[in-house]
Amino acid sequence: MHPTAPSADLEAAHAGLPRRRFLATVSTTAMTAALLSSYGTFAAMAARFLLPARERRTAWMLVSDVAAFRRGTTRTLVAPAGERIVVARHGDASDPAAAALDDFVALSSTCPHLGCQVRFEPQNHRFFCPCHNGTFDPEGRATGGPPFEAGQSLPRYELRIDRGLLFIRVPLEGVA
Amino acid sequence: MGRLAAGLRERLPVNRARLRELTNEPVPHHLKHWWFCLGGTPLYLFVVMVATGILLAFYYEASPGRAWESVRFVSEQASYGWFLRSIHRWAATLMVAAVVLHQMRVFFTGAYRRPREFNWVIGMGLLVLTLLAGFTGYSLVYEQLSFWGATVAANLTENVPLLGVMLRRFLLGGDSYNEHTLSRFFVLHGAVIPVAIVVLLTLHVALIRLHGITELRFRTERPGTPRFFDFFPDHLLTELLIGLVLMIVLCTLASVLPVPLGPRADPLSTPEVIKPEWFFYVAFRWLKLFSERTAFLSLGAILLAMTLWPFVDGSIRKRRPDSEASVVVGIAAVLAILGLTVWEASVAH
Repeated sequence: MHPTAPSADLEAAHAGLPRRRFLATVSTTAMTAALLSSYGTFAAMAARFLLPARERRTAWMLVSDVAAFRRGTTRTLVAPAGERIVVARHGDASDPAAAALDDFVALSSTCPHLGCQVRFEPQNHRFFCPCHNGTFDPEGRATGGPPFEAGQSLPRYELRIDRGLLFIRVPLEGVA
Repeated sequence: MGRLAAGLRERLPVNRARLRELTNEPVPHHLKHWWFCLGGTPLYLFVVMVATGILLAFYYEASPGRAWESVRFVSEQASYGWFLRSIHRWAATLMVAAVVLHQMRVFFTGAYRRPREFNWVIGMGLLVLTLLAGFTGYSLVYEQLSFWGATVAANLTENVPLLGVMLRRFLLGGDSYNEHTLSRFFVLHGAVIPVAIVVLLTLHVALIRLHGITELRFRTERPGTPRFFDFFPDHLLTELLIGLVLMIVLCTLASVLPVPLGPRADPLSTPEVIKPEWFFYVAFRWLKLFSERTAFLSLGAILLAMTLWPFVDGSIRKRRPDSEASVVVGIAAVLAILGLTVWEASVAH
């Protein structure tokens, strides 16, 4: 008498094959999922790789001696990356030595609407963009045209006064 | 939904049954052994290289003034740039290895014999193109070693009979390495060679399909083993598994051993120790063993003999059907390649 024989046969008939099929299905699914997720990761990395780096490299550039920068005047300078920047000195404090950082404003000359170059019109006391007639006040706030409707101002640059010298933070990369 | 499907079928009149027949080739049973699946590996790696290569080309600038700087940007600043570049480089290394292993397998199992001689010749073309892609790709980095390697290699082509000087001038875009050289390498590496590889690969696979895969029987096989199994899904699963393993190997290598960036090329000073990529060690050592012209021409002759070997082997076997000449030649060649590579790797000069 072989009491184990029938049950072993039964196991083969009922459990053996389905188990094999189950394992095959599970491993195939796991493998395919792993491959697909690795390609998905690759695609995400590729997208991130092609997006420009968020942090642009910047550097402090000397604008001028604060004392030599007369009130009510502007200077145009070109950043290493090629942007034209207008630096203006306002304010009417009588003591030129007590120059506060708030006296100065540094504006990009690139119109926020579609990227044309704005020019300062001293007679109108405003910046004017020739592409779509956008206008900005001397502080860079939009006063008319498409930038005004969209609420876009001229981009500002960070300034710093160190030992009587005025510095500006400018991006290093660009077409130049 | 049904109308959409019917509409699509009308515009893309694909015969399902014929498509199934076309894609579902019977695969001989011996392809259950891993050793016989090495042909798909270079193909997979090639696809990886096309994908990563396109990405790298977004930032690469092919001019001596900017090339090294753009590779530095990719490696140090662009998000995941170091990883994608490392994958590209490691895939190249593995691809050369896989092509050589595949070729060795084909050689020692005699799969190149009549009527499959042409496919061996096409395979040799693919080997040469793979090596050329490796050479031009490495030159693009514009590090010291890649600059001097390219200079040496270009000057060597002068030894080609008759066309030598013209070939060198064509490769460099002038009499010596100049501002037009890198853009030539870039076009060769990124357009000409890959397209040539795709064309030859198509022929390679088409010939395999026309002939069918060489059947092999093993003595250890149990009687009653079926002769063929289906390409879909059985063999596709094997290939999926290979793809998964390759992805893991590539990612591990790229993360653990990211590709470094050597010092920028300096056309005024040759580095103390100069080596090509490892897969050129054989040729490099060979060139040091003989005079330049002898070494170069003999390398060409060896390549030609390798290409024509199926026909040589055929005529030997016609006279002596039980000749084992190919095995002897094959073992000698493998030992020579291994020996020269190890020799070159172990010494500085």
